[in-house]
Amino acid sequence: MTEEHHATHPQPAQYVKIAVVLATLTAVEVGLYYLNNSLSLGWINTALLLILAALKFLIVIGWYMHLRFEKRTLSRFFGFGFVLALTLYAVVLVGFGVLALNR
Amino acid sequence: MSESTAPPEDEEVAHHDEHESTGVENRKLGMWVFLSSEFLFFGALITNYLLYFGREFEQGPTPSEIYDIPFTSVSSFVLLMSSLTMVLAHNALTRRDQGATRTWLLATAMLGSVFLAGQVFEFTEFIVEYDMTLSTNPAASSFYVLTGFHGTHVAIGVIMLLSLFGLSKRLGGLSERQHLNLELVGLYWHFVDIIWIVIFTVVYLLTATSGG
Repeated sequence: MTEEHHATHPQPAQYVKIAVVLATLTAVEVGLYYLNNSLSLGWINTALLLILAALKFLIVIGWYMHLRFEKRTLSRFFGFGFVLALTLYAVVLVGFGVLALNR
Repeated sequence: MSESTAPPEDEEVAHHDEHESTGVENRKLGMWVFLSSEFLFFGALITNYLLYFGREFEQGPTPSEIYDIPFTSVSSFVLLMSSLTMVLAHNALTRRDQGATRTWLLATAMLGSVFLAGQVFEFTEFIVEYDMTLSTNPAASSFYVLTGFHGTHVAIGVIMLLSLFGLSKRLGGLSERQHLNLELVGLYWHFVDIIWIVIFTVVYLLTATSGG
């Protein structure tokens, strides 16, 4: 790693702030779970939980794994595996009727 | 914590030799490719769980009927915070603060161990209290295989963290080459965390919601 590469990385205080954001998002997720139990939010609950999980996922990859500061080659390798897995298993789930597209 | 020792410099040249035409160290590129392939591994296990979710079986409860969401939420929080301590360990080594590096490495290993202890407790409760074993029904099997493999990954991560801690303690600090080792272990650890983010939402919160 070069010096300028390190210079772009967040500092400890920023890492702590990111952790607070991650913890807050997790608390919101758990809150949604209980809200759904009493209000039955249906697909809105599913969509919100998936969006919150995706946010946490991207924050950890981008800031803690430093992917947003790395060369694009790494993002492409990593993203390829993710997109391949997502596509492959979405097809399997649709094929077996777990994800119903016409519902 | 503020102990700062100069790391051995004998391997600095070897570290820079690892740069290839991609501009990325070979081992680092290898780790990212490995982690990328792990998406397929865990994707298969999560898909397997979802295929059996919602089906009725003659024997025993299904996992979604007996989840302890408050307990798992705390476990998730612990693993999430271990990512913070991991990145602080990496940051401390970048600043060549070897004492702080060791402290954060140990903190990460301990948080990982707490998560593992929670998983052992959860499994024990499911088996003893609810009589849901690996062979009770396909939903239970897929749950144990998925979370068991994730737990195995966490355990391997804890071993690697403790190895780095021991190495740093023995040598009085991590060298330039070992800096990359710590970065690779960090990548692995954060990956285990993001996989749990997916498992916690898709396997626990979403299926418990639907099941309940």
